[in-house]
Amino acid sequence: MKITLSRILQRKAGLLFLSLSLALAAGFSMPLIADETCMSPYMAKITGQEDFVYVWTLGAEGVGDEQDKLVTVDVNPASPNYGKVVHTLSVGGRNEAHHSGFTDDRHYLWAGGLDTSKIFIFDVHSDPARPTLHKTIDDFVKTSGGVVGPHTTYALPGRMMLTGLSNDKDHGGRTALVEYTNSGDYVATHWMPTDEDLGGAVKSGNFADGYGYDVRALPRRNVMITSSFTGWNNYMANLGKVMGDAEAMKRFGNTVVVWDLHSRKPKKVFDVPGAPLEIRCAWGPHNDYCFTTTALTSKIWLIYEDDEGEWQAKAVADIGDAAKIPLPVDISISADDSLLWIDTWNDGKARLFDISDPFKPVQIQETKIGAQINMASQSWDGKRIYFTSSLLANWDKVEAPEGEDLQYFKSYTWDGAKLNHEFSIDFVAENLGLPHQMRFGAYSLYGKSNPLVSSPESTSSGLSGGQ
Amino acid sequence: MPRSGEIDYRQVNLVFTCLFLFLVFCSASLPALAQQKATEPQVLAPGWSELEFEPPEAGSYRLPPMGMAGDGNVLDSSGQATTLHSLMGDKVVVMSFIYSSCSDANGCPLATHVLERLQNQLMKDPGKGNGVRFISLSFDPGQDTPEVMQRYGRPYISGDFDWHFLTTSGKSELEPVLKSYGQTIVRDPNVTGEEAGNISHVLRVFLIDRRMQIRNIFSASYLHADSMLNDIRTLQMETALQGPGDVKQGYEHSNYQTQAQSLKNRRGKSMELWSYSEQPPLGLPPIPVPGDNPLSTEKIELGRLLFFDRRLSHNNTFSCAMCHVPEQGFASNELATAVGIEGRTVRRNSPTIYNVAYLENLFHDGRESTLEQQIWGPLLARNEMGNPSVGRVIEQINAIPEYRERFQTAFAGRPVSMETVGMALASYERVLVSANSPFDRWYYGGEKDALSATEQAGFRLFNGKARCSSCHQISSEWALFTDNQMHNTGIGYQRSMLQTPKETRVQIAPGEHITVRSDVVEDASEPLPNDLGLYEITESPNDRWKYRTPTLRNVALTAPYMHNGSISTLREVIDFYDRGGINNELLDPLLQPLRLSDEESRQLLAFLQALTGDNVDALVADAFAVPVGNTGAD
Repeated sequence: MKITLSRILQRKAGLLFLSLSLALAAGFSMPLIADETCMSPYMAKITGQEDFVYVWTLGAEGVGDEQDKLVTVDVNPASPNYGKVVHTLSVGGRNEAHHSGFTDDRHYLWAGGLDTSKIFIFDVHSDPARPTLHKTIDDFVKTSGGVVGPHTTYALPGRMMLTGLSNDKDHGGRTALVEYTNSGDYVATHWMPTDEDLGGAVKSGNFADGYGYDVRALPRRNVMITSSFTGWNNYMANLGKVMGDAEAMKRFGNTVVVWDLHSRKPKKVFDVPGAPLEIRCAWGPHNDYCFTTTALTSKIWLIYEDDEGEWQAKAVADIGDAAKIPLPVDISISADDSLLWIDTWNDGKARLFDISDPFKPVQIQETKIGAQINMASQSWDGKRIYFTSSLLANWDKVEAPEGEDLQYFKSYTWDGAKLNHEFSIDFVAENLGLPHQMRFGAYSLYGKSNPLVSSPESTSSGLSGGQ
Repeated sequence: MPRSGEIDYRQVNLVFTCLFLFLVFCSASLPALAQQKATEPQVLAPGWSELEFEPPEAGSYRLPPMGMAGDGNVLDSSGQATTLHSLMGDKVVVMSFIYSSCSDANGCPLATHVLERLQNQLMKDPGKGNGVRFISLSFDPGQDTPEVMQRYGRPYISGDFDWHFLTTSGKSELEPVLKSYGQTIVRDPNVTGEEAGNISHVLRVFLIDRRMQIRNIFSASYLHADSMLNDIRTLQMETALQGPGDVKQGYEHSNYQTQAQSLKNRRGKSMELWSYSEQPPLGLPPIPVPGDNPLSTEKIELGRLLFFDRRLSHNNTFSCAMCHVPEQGFASNELATAVGIEGRTVRRNSPTIYNVAYLENLFHDGRESTLEQQIWGPLLARNEMGNPSVGRVIEQINAIPEYRERFQTAFAGRPVSMETVGMALASYERVLVSANSPFDRWYYGGEKDALSATEQAGFRLFNGKARCSSCHQISSEWALFTDNQMHNTGIGYQRSMLQTPKETRVQIAPGEHITVRSDVVEDASEPLPNDLGLYEITESPNDRWKYRTPTLRNVALTAPYMHNGSISTLREVIDFYDRGGINNELLDPLLQPLRLSDEESRQLLAFLQALTGDNVDALVADAFAVPVGNTGAD
């Protein structure tokens, strides 16, 4: 399949349409459009400046109260608290805090623990500056039928789709998707396709390992896409031990699965060797493709619908030198589908790829952010980007070279040519823990205005989003 | 002259050459074949036509193992050197011996034709025959170069079906393979008197399971796609219980294919374990039972529930079974060394629970003496189940009403306590006895054919030249395959005292490795804690790097090996002992270079693989039937 000229034109027209529609919805003036670009298309959007970044933070022995917490950072430059931690909420225990995601109405933030399989549901709408713990799901393993390690919490209409990473039988990588209502009631378990039970899917290559990691949807194509990482035995263990254990290294995922979104049936299993992690789908209305990167083999893969309407997977670029294990982790796609940020954990670099031809991504920039880097969240307009450092409690580095930051939250602006550092918070020095995933908060989503900010230009404004 | 009743393939060759060419090149339909059959004095083998009877239903019968499938150095059709064993173990294998110029319709063409039909039937399965591999190995390396085999095989392979057309580099590589498969061939002289004419042989096609054991042998009159299909399905049904559900055998190679089993379908069937206390399987002595903890069904069933209960760890994530996984030999095939609560590093490999009742010293360093006491080690170890205290575990169990009742019943009114928890778990572990292996049936049961000639040769080596039985002892009445003593083999010494190599080879995907500077690995790692073995218990310098002799029963199921899981395969373990271990001042004098030939090592391996108990499936199924204890309302 080749992206034809007509498709490129369609894509550009789509972008124009998207910008126009956002502008129209925001009151006929071109707003400061701001939201992270990696969220569910079903979700309400923020326009204007985000007020907060919620950082789901791992507790670490010897650091503060040693337990997982939701840390709220004020990121509105107009706020007197700009750049400061304004709230923390400890949840008890070290659960291997990892990913988090809002419900489609953005009233609640679901945050999973990969170790204890607990899911913490935070109320972020009653007071966006001070989230509260609304509910804890502590029977996820039992209710789901043995799924361990809730990872992605992805908004679908009125419900949350969770990916698992492991299971309670062998702590290996075979796992399932688990579906809940927004109010936290279990709906269903959808097991990842295995050789023994492909669930109707076509095994297109050599692998149907049944492993899981991330999930994303392209609703207009009725498609859901999942990737595959590794089981509890590996993601909880010390990284050096895993790399030195020949058996453990055989237990990484090598598959991407394309699902029928509506029926939740797996359709096609692709060989994508070397642990494909985050999935980011293009936003353009005719850009029927998603990207993922493989952690171990350091490649960008394109998952795309070809001209015949068939889904395909193709390795389209290398990320750094695989022999140095750069370990690509989080990726973030720009709202116009032209740029892809790729964080490489091991060398602490944020790399920017030009993806305007999705079949030929080209690295155009790289910036050293710290001794290690994991998550990246950019604003919808691509002007602000935030980074955190922690990957997994026992994979994180324990020492940083002189002058390099180890456990941090960092705020940057992107001026089109380079990243400009705005502020940093050292999460260990602040006795907080190991910072992981970031989600944006704003008063505007709930019809409120920021009480600490008087200038209307700097206030966020809400926009119902979604498809 | 052939004996009466035997077909002289040489004489019928000419006739069948014509018939075969007709069949192949004109794609003769089966009715046409039947007509030929009516007019020919020699009958065509049943494999050419429809089966005249309904083959027995898959899974309704058992195919007892007939010994290990042999190994050998071969060349694939691209000329790459590989071994037969590297193409076995991950899938059910159908292996035939052929040669490309063979023209005997009831010989090689039949084998290839039947395999092609079988392939087409397998391709109709939802898994497209993914769990099956065909091997067609030439016994004519002179003529059949890799290119010839590729040309010969290509028309038969449907889509990406896993069918290998192999040859060898010459007679010297081929002969040991033929010998191990009992294939004798006679080469006709050609007109100049050289051995280059037709090859006479008895057609044999081998069905080999995922443990590399031969499970059926087909010859011309028996070979048929329909019955083979049911045999393959029969093997696939039974293998569902044995070995990890996430099969990684062959992952080193780029042709690796997954064989992942469904967790949704992981169901079991309870069995009456108590009966083992009256009658252990053949080859084992009576189960030693302490006077103050007699076995009872109530205690065994209670211990079994506890064994699979993840709420017995500090943060509800760990049961005993997370490291002693039933389908992984009640050990862990997935990790060289175990990983404990919160991912904490454990220094040593998870040992099997099978036959733990007979051990006099527990743990690799032998520091504990009874199972009742031993179970508190992992429960309280900070890097295993991580419980902060005995009292906390007891509170946790008491908080579950079902347990309160079951303890009362099992222990005559006694409550949950440090003592009764130990007694219950010990009772379950004690009855996980497994024997009546092919070795036991041969050695103790008097079944002459229970071990193949190769396995018997392996047993002689085990007792003789290879000196294995010095430590892995057997007696005239039973065999524990351990002396219950502690020995220094040098593995521990190496880890403590020798320099680590500057580079490490790390696998990043099937068939894909990278070489990484060791400091890259070390940077990402807390240093692995040192391990001095028995010395850590006795503080006697002579006890440095001594570890307990493990049993060898079910050893084929418990990879990786040694106290730190540092050796991946049994063959590599044999090679390690063949070299005499790793030299150090405290090396056990029993370890000496053995100078085993390759064939002897293979015989020894075959013997070790004949030590798998016949009740493994039943014990695993019993374990699968136990609900995993997790947080949440019942």
